[in-house]
Amino acid sequence: MLAFVVRRAVLGVIVLWALSIASFYALFSRERLQVYSPLRGHSLLPLYWTWLKGVFTGRTFDLIFTPAASQLNPSARTTFVDSIGHTAVLLSVTLVLVLLFAVGLALVAASRRGSGADIGVRGISYLAWAVPPFLLALLVQKLLYTFGGDHGVGPFPIAGWPGSCPIGLGLDAGSLQNCPAAGSGLTYVGNLFRYITLPAATLALGFIGLHGRYLRSALLETLQAPFVRTAEAKGLPQRWVVLRHALRASLPTFLSAVLSDFGAIFGAAMAVDFMFGLNGLGTVLVSDFPGPNSDSGFVDTNSVQTVIVIAGAVVLLASFLAELSVVWLDPRMREAE
Amino acid sequence: MNAAAEGPRANSLVEGLRPRRRGALRLVLRRLGRQPVTLAALAVLVALLVVGALAHEIAPEGWDWINLSDGGRNLSPTFAGGNLLGTDNIGRSVLVITIWGLHFSEQVAVAGALLAVAIGIAVGAVAGYYGGLLDAVLMRFVDFVIGFPLLVVMYVALAFLTPVTLWKATLVFALSLWTFVARVVRARVASLRAEAFVDGARAAGASDLRILVRHLLPNTAGAVVVSLTSVIGQIAIVEATVEFFGFGIVSAITPTLGNLIAAGASTGIGAYNFPAAGWWVWGGPAIVLVLLLVCLNVVGDGLDAALDPRRR
Repeated sequence: MLAFVVRRAVLGVIVLWALSIASFYALFSRERLQVYSPLRGHSLLPLYWTWLKGVFTGRTFDLIFTPAASQLNPSARTTFVDSIGHTAVLLSVTLVLVLLFAVGLALVAASRRGSGADIGVRGISYLAWAVPPFLLALLVQKLLYTFGGDHGVGPFPIAGWPGSCPIGLGLDAGSLQNCPAAGSGLTYVGNLFRYITLPAATLALGFIGLHGRYLRSALLETLQAPFVRTAEAKGLPQRWVVLRHALRASLPTFLSAVLSDFGAIFGAAMAVDFMFGLNGLGTVLVSDFPGPNSDSGFVDTNSVQTVIVIAGAVVLLASFLAELSVVWLDPRMREAE
Repeated sequence: MNAAAEGPRANSLVEGLRPRRRGALRLVLRRLGRQPVTLAALAVLVALLVVGALAHEIAPEGWDWINLSDGGRNLSPTFAGGNLLGTDNIGRSVLVITIWGLHFSEQVAVAGALLAVAIGIAVGAVAGYYGGLLDAVLMRFVDFVIGFPLLVVMYVALAFLTPVTLWKATLVFALSLWTFVARVVRARVASLRAEAFVDGARAAGASDLRILVRHLLPNTAGAVVVSLTSVIGQIAIVEATVEFFGFGIVSAITPTLGNLIAAGASTGIGAYNFPAAGWWVWGGPAIVLVLLLVCLNVVGDGLDAALDPRRR
């Protein structure tokens, strides 16, 4: 077990290192991107060395990420570390939502196969998976704007993070105005949940559809297995059979599938984050590139480089956890170890 | 002496092979015929693809034909008659620009997916057939690329390639999505490599290339078709997303479903004293995009079920 972890860690470090060199070369060697950059004219190797050193000393993450309009409101300035935190919160809440709802819906659908509920869940999950996250975010925001104007509906604000709100919607977002204070302690947590619920639900919906569908077919297959028939023959209540036998057997595959898909969730989180003005890594990525929607004066290649390497680390960690979850949840694998 | 021992078996294999393969195809078609939802999705999908492909014939006026008269701008859709899906705030017909957006999105998705399939088959076949260290390294790389968020790759790749042309975008998609096909093909080839018919072919003196092309790759056809639908869908989603954020092809030059949604949904066009566009301006391309993706997913899953040997 320890050998497995160590091997994985060493391999991961090598992959990340290679990724950082490749992306650094791609990002910094292009003259076009350096036109507005303060890094223009420096040679690559010392720059890479500075960046790499910064990863370990933390300086790389100290950079202040400034969406154009946050210069108007210094108190609402977001640092890169803040952005990492915002994305981490979004991803964790999303992961919890995906796991809970995918399992719930799959249980409902599989235990009443062919019923109206089953067909409804399957239909909706196909639809949910087919709506790209950016489009769903756009739709949610347009609806919120239609019914609640600038302030959103009920407890749910239209966009932003506690303490910083963008003006405008989606593609026109990026400016911060004075907002209700973020609060501290429990108030902050409450506010956080108000702000994060809709973005996380938006991000989670498609993945709930996808993985709920997979788990449903896995459950149906397991329900045909001889050990399930044995459990039924013992006279166990159907609920117990489904929960303790069928679900338990399908869980390792399901969990590792969700974790393997984490890279896709991360990617989609970039889009949702930007649309909802969460000032997470997605906002860094989208507003720091010289696209038509870029509003920053120079290209922060350093931040983008760091986002790429973070994405790589997240992917490696998720795939490691995926393998680990199978070993942990599947007794047969544990014995094989 | 070997020929005598293997002769009858080889003969029965050769005789049994052809009808059985044709039978397998018929079985798949018959199974598809029993899935009305898949057939309906396939019909809608084909209709969408044909409309997109024939944009030159259906909407010959092109996507930049505008009608600036007061009566021609920002008309809400009537869903009937001449003004089917309404007009945007500079008087372009939403139906026409959506058809053209579909045309170019489809071009990128289909061409990119076909190229990805070609690369994926080649790499997957080599990795699965030869195995060993090459296979291990290639598949580790493939796993990492598949896991890596495609959206992040695309942001970076497309932002560097500005100005992005259709073919550059196509190439970038193909060069990152071949991995999905390679994984599927590799798994099939690696499991079939140990079968008796491969030994038979090798004993008959067939070269590696011939074994791969004539004996192994035809057996991966079903899995490749399923992964083709999935790759087309992925390109459509990611292309729309990067276009939406403005990293790809700009809508004024080449409309795609993604940048049409962005143009309609932001106040960008409205900046020049035009009123903000109505919901239908982004709603049209959005509905077409979602419809395309739903149909691709349903058809892919239906094909997958029909090809599943466990249900034979």
